Amino acid sequence: MTDEKSDTRSAESAPRAEIRSGRSFSVVWVVPIVALLIGGWLTFKALSEQGPVITITFETAEGLEAGKTKLKSKDVEVGLVTRIEMNEDLSGVIVTAEMNKAAESFMREKTQFWVVRARVAAGEVSGLGTLFSGAYIGCNPSKDGKDTRQFKGLEKPPVITAGIPGNHFVLKSATLGSLDIGSPVYYRGIKVGQVVEYNFDERAEAVNVRVFIHAPYHEKIRQNTRFWNAGGVDFKLDTTGVTIDTQSLVSVLLGGVAFDLPDYLEPAEQAKENQTFRLYANREDIEQRSYTVQHYFLMYFDQNVRGLSSGAPVEIRGIRLGEVIDVKLEVNFDDVTARVAVLARIEPERIDTIIKDQVAENGDQQSAPTQEAMENLTQLIGKGLRAQLKSGNLLTGQLYVDLDFFPDAPPVKITQLRGYQVMPTLPAPFEQLAQRVNNILKQVEKMPLAEIGQDLHKAVNTLQTALEAAERMSNDVGQVAGEVSQMTDVVKQEVLPGLKTALDDFQSTMNSIEQTLGPDSAMNHTARNMMSEMAATIRTMRSLIDYVERNPQSVIFGKEKEQ
Amino acid sequence: MAEMATARQLGMAVCHDCHILVDWPVLAAGERAHCPRCGAHIHQRKPNSIRRTWALVVASCILYVPANLLPITITSSLGDVQADTIISGIIYFIKSGSFLIAMVIFVASVLVPLMKLLILSGLLLSIRFKSAWRPKERTRLYRLTEVVGRWSMVDIYVVTILVALVKLGALANIDAGPAAGYFAAVVVITMFAARSFDPRLIWDTIEEKHD
Repeated sequence: MTDEKSDTRSAESAPRAEIRSGRSFSVVWVVPIVALLIGGWLTFKALSEQGPVITITFETAEGLEAGKTKLKSKDVEVGLVTRIEMNEDLSGVIVTAEMNKAAESFMREKTQFWVVRARVAAGEVSGLGTLFSGAYIGCNPSKDGKDTRQFKGLEKPPVITAGIPGNHFVLKSATLGSLDIGSPVYYRGIKVGQVVEYNFDERAEAVNVRVFIHAPYHEKIRQNTRFWNAGGVDFKLDTTGVTIDTQSLVSVLLGGVAFDLPDYLEPAEQAKENQTFRLYANREDIEQRSYTVQHYFLMYFDQNVRGLSSGAPVEIRGIRLGEVIDVKLEVNFDDVTARVAVLARIEPERIDTIIKDQVAENGDQQSAPTQEAMENLTQLIGKGLRAQLKSGNLLTGQLYVDLDFFPDAPPVKITQLRGYQVMPTLPAPFEQLAQRVNNILKQVEKMPLAEIGQDLHKAVNTLQTALEAAERMSNDVGQVAGEVSQMTDVVKQEVLPGLKTALDDFQSTMNSIEQTLGPDSAMNHTARNMMSEMAATIRTMRSLIDYVERNPQSVIFGKEKEQ
Repeated sequence: MAEMATARQLGMAVCHDCHILVDWPVLAAGERAHCPRCGAHIHQRKPNSIRRTWALVVASCILYVPANLLPITITSSLGDVQADTIISGIIYFIKSGSFLIAMVIFVASVLVPLMKLLILSGLLLSIRFKSAWRPKERTRLYRLTEVVGRWSMVDIYVVTILVALVKLGALANIDAGPAAGYFAAVVVITMFAARSFDPRLIWDTIEEKHD
C-alpha cells in the first residue's frame, strides 16, 4: 500500500509520473492458503477421527494411567484412557476412554474389555511386554448386542475367539476339577481348543464349561462325541491291576479336556454351536457309561465279601458286563441271620447277540428295552445263570462277581425285592470245598466215638482179665510142678492121669486166649479198624482247623444253609 | 527528525546488493529499476512488504496450531510407544527435574515462535493504523525477531539428531512426529516473514505525520 501511495515528488524531477498500482494479488498469499488447507485438513481429520467416549468399570485401576493407557484390540490401538475415577460406592473404578472413529462400530453390549497385565497362568505366559510398557486395556470387539457406551470390564482376560473359525461347546460337569480358562482341549493328543469360560449352573447344580474348538477339528465333534476330563494323572488300582492314564504333560500339570468317539460308535451328525455335552470323569468312563440301557439286580451272598467294593466288575466268562453299585449287610433279627446284599448294574447292550439286537430294534434309547431285558434275564436265570464271587486279583484280594451258567444248579424261584430282580447266587468254588469238608466233619461228628471207646475199654479189660487168668494159671502150673517134683514118685503113678487132665485144661485155656487175642480175633480186627478211623478223623480235623484258621467267620455263620 | 533526510526524500535509492546510492528514476507502469553497477533490482521500499509479511504471518499462525498439538517425537521403548508434543515434552522435563532443558526447549520452541508471530503482527498492525508509537523500540523488536528467529530451529535440530541417534530397534527408537514438519515450516515461514518486513515502513509513518 505504501508503494502505491508513495509520493515520488522531489525537488529535481518536475514531471510527475503516475504509477499504477501493482498486482492486487500477490503470489505470497499461496503460502497462507496452503497453510489453511493443511490446517483445515488436519482439523477435519481430527474431528472425523474422533470416536465415541466410553466408560468401563473395573474392580481396580492397577497399572492404568489416564492419558497414557491405551485400548487395544488384537494389538491395534483403538482408544486411549482419558480419565480414571472411583465409582460412587467406592467399590470400583470408572475408566473413561476416548475411542477411535473405527471403534464406533463395535461399541456394543457384547464387546469385552479387560486389563492386560503380565500374567503367568494356564500354561502360558502372556503380557510380558506390559512389564515394561505398563498395562493396557484389551478389547474383544463384537457387533452383537445393543449400542452402548457403558461397559463392565472383565477381571480376567477372556480367550478371544471372535472371528476365529471353530465352534463353541458347553460341557456339563459335577466339578470344575483342575480346569481353568485357557486349559487345553485335546483330540488324540493334539491341542485343538481351549476352555474359554466356566460358570456354575444354579438350577442344575453343575458346572458349565465352555470350550472353543478350532477349525477344522470342530468337525470332529459329533452328536455322540464324548468329552472327558484329561487333567492330572488317572491312577487306578482294581482287579485288572494298576492303570495310569494321562493326556500330556501340560494337562497333567494344568488340567485339560479331551474328546473322542468311543470305538464302537459310528460318527453321528456334526454337533452344532453351543451344543451341550457331558464331561466324563476319565477316559474309561466314556466307554462304560455309554450304554443307554442299564439294568439293576440284587444278589445275596452268605459269605465273606471282603474285597468286594462298589465298582467291582460284573463279568460273564471274563467279559465285563457291568459293575457293583453297592454292598450292604442285611441282618434279620428274627432268626439272627445275616446276608450280604450286593446291588449290581449291568448294561445289557454289552451282550451283543442275546439282548442287544432286541434293544437296537427299539431305537437304542431308554424306552422299552428294560422290560425285555428283564424277561431275558429271567429266561437266563431259568437256564442256570448264577452269580458267584471270585477272587479277581490274588495280590490285592479284590473280588468280582462272576456270572455263569450252571445247568445243574437247583432251580430257584425268580423273585423281586425292593424293585430289583434278585439274581440267585452260588457259593464260590472254594466255598464249595469248605462245604464238603464240613459235611465230612459232620459225619465224623455222628460217629459213636464214646461207644467205640467204651467197647475198646471193655475189650482191653477182658484182655487183662484173661492175662491175669493166664498168669494165675502159670502160677498154678508152677505149684503143680513143685508138687509134681515133690511128689513125683508118688504122683507119678497116682497123679499122672490127673496131670494129663490138667494139661488138657491148660491147653484149652491157651486156645481160648488165642481165640480172644489172636491175629484173626474179632477184638484185634475191631481195634485195628478203630485205629485207622482215628487217623482219618485226625486228618480231617487238621483240614478243618486249617479252614477255620483262614475263615474264622465260618465258626459263627456256619455252613448249615448249604443244601 | 526533520534534519534527517531519508534516501527516498532525496529522490534516491540504495542498491541492496552493492549498496550504491542511485538517483531514483520515475518509473513507468511495469518498469523496474536496476542497479547501474551490479544490475540488481532496486526499489526504494521492499515491494509488497506488508502484504507478503501478512500472508506469511497468517500462514505460520495456522501452522503453529498443528505444530503444538500434534506429537513431535514418537518414542518407543520396549514396546511402549509414546507420542510427545512439544508441551508434553516440556512437562516431562519439568517433572523429571531437568529445569534447564525444559527452559531451553520452552524458550526455543514455544516462546520464540510465538513472540515472533506476535511482534510481527503487532508491527504490521501498527503500520496499518499508522501508529507513531515508539518507533525506536518497535525497530528494536523487529531486530530481535530477526536475530532470535533462527534459534527456534534448535528444536528441529534436537529432534533430527535424536531420530538419527536413537535407533536401537525394539529396545529404543525415536521417530519424528508430524508436528516436526509443521514446526519447521512455522520457523522458516516466520523467518521469511521477518525478512519480507521492511522496518523503514515504521519510520515512513512517522515521516508522513511530520509532513
